[in-house]
Amino acid sequence: MKTILTVDDSPSIRQMLAYVLTSNGYHVIEAEDGEQGLAFAKANQADLVLTDQNMPKMDGLALIKALRSLPNYRKVPIMMLTTESSQALKQQGRDAGATGWMVKPFDPDKLLEMLKRAFAQNAT
Amino acid sequence: MTGTENGGDIGSRIADGTNNPSYATLLAFHELATRLFAQVHSAHHEIGETREILKDAIDRLMPAFTAMRAQDKIPVMNPSKREAFSALQFQDISDQLLAHAQARLSQLLHEVDLLVGALAPDTQQSNTVARLTQLVHQANDNLADLDISLLKPVGKAHLGTGDMEMF
Repeated sequence: MKTILTVDDSPSIRQMLAYVLTSNGYHVIEAEDGEQGLAFAKANQADLVLTDQNMPKMDGLALIKALRSLPNYRKVPIMMLTTESSQALKQQGRDAGATGWMVKPFDPDKLLEMLKRAFAQNAT
Repeated sequence: MTGTENGGDIGSRIADGTNNPSYATLLAFHELATRLFAQVHSAHHEIGETREILKDAIDRLMPAFTAMRAQDKIPVMNPSKREAFSALQFQDISDQLLAHAQARLSQLLHEVDLLVGALAPDTQQSNTVARLTQLVHQANDNLADLDISLLKPVGKAHLGTGDMEMF
């Protein structure tokens, strides 16, 4: 079973993500900000990270940069799931090492499709 | 024309010795600035209350969502459930827009507060003009910085599902 680390400061979004992902066979670990997500990642191995951008303590871009500096997270897919949709910020995400970008509100089927594509891309 | 250039023009006009405002004019501006402060303060507070109401609403809705989740032996996302699923994300999205609006109002409160101080009746008139000129420049710079730091977080005004992009 693949483990997905979801990082979002909104409890309702985390609940909805957990609903979709666990219903589709993924194991989900939740973090409420970048710091908590990074702490988990340092101690555990997730197969994919799904992170929001605007969060207290550490935002999504800072989290991606920190994760990419960890040897065991250099190739792990990291997807942004955020209300932010500006091209400038997407470019910053790409430069930081994000694998993909999805704008909220998310559709469950599209989210699952994006995850499949990310895993497939990572496997090649 | 940039905000700073615009502010520079206004500052020059305020500082123009031939057009110095009278004490009565400054008092009228002080009264206006005080009223503006009260209005912006109220708007800031009301947005805060709106955010609380939205948070309360989602806190009350989520238990129903969790119950639905528990009942689903084999979860199936039919079209109506999918629509409800997207709509339930309203609080996260609207809260970010409201937080941006509050941040703008906080900056406005700060600028208007400085204006109220500079226009206070006990201030010397000559000092008032100089302080107002400086305030205009500073406020324009601050507001320009605010525009840069607060890029609109949500690129649309509806709950239709967002785009996806793989890098």
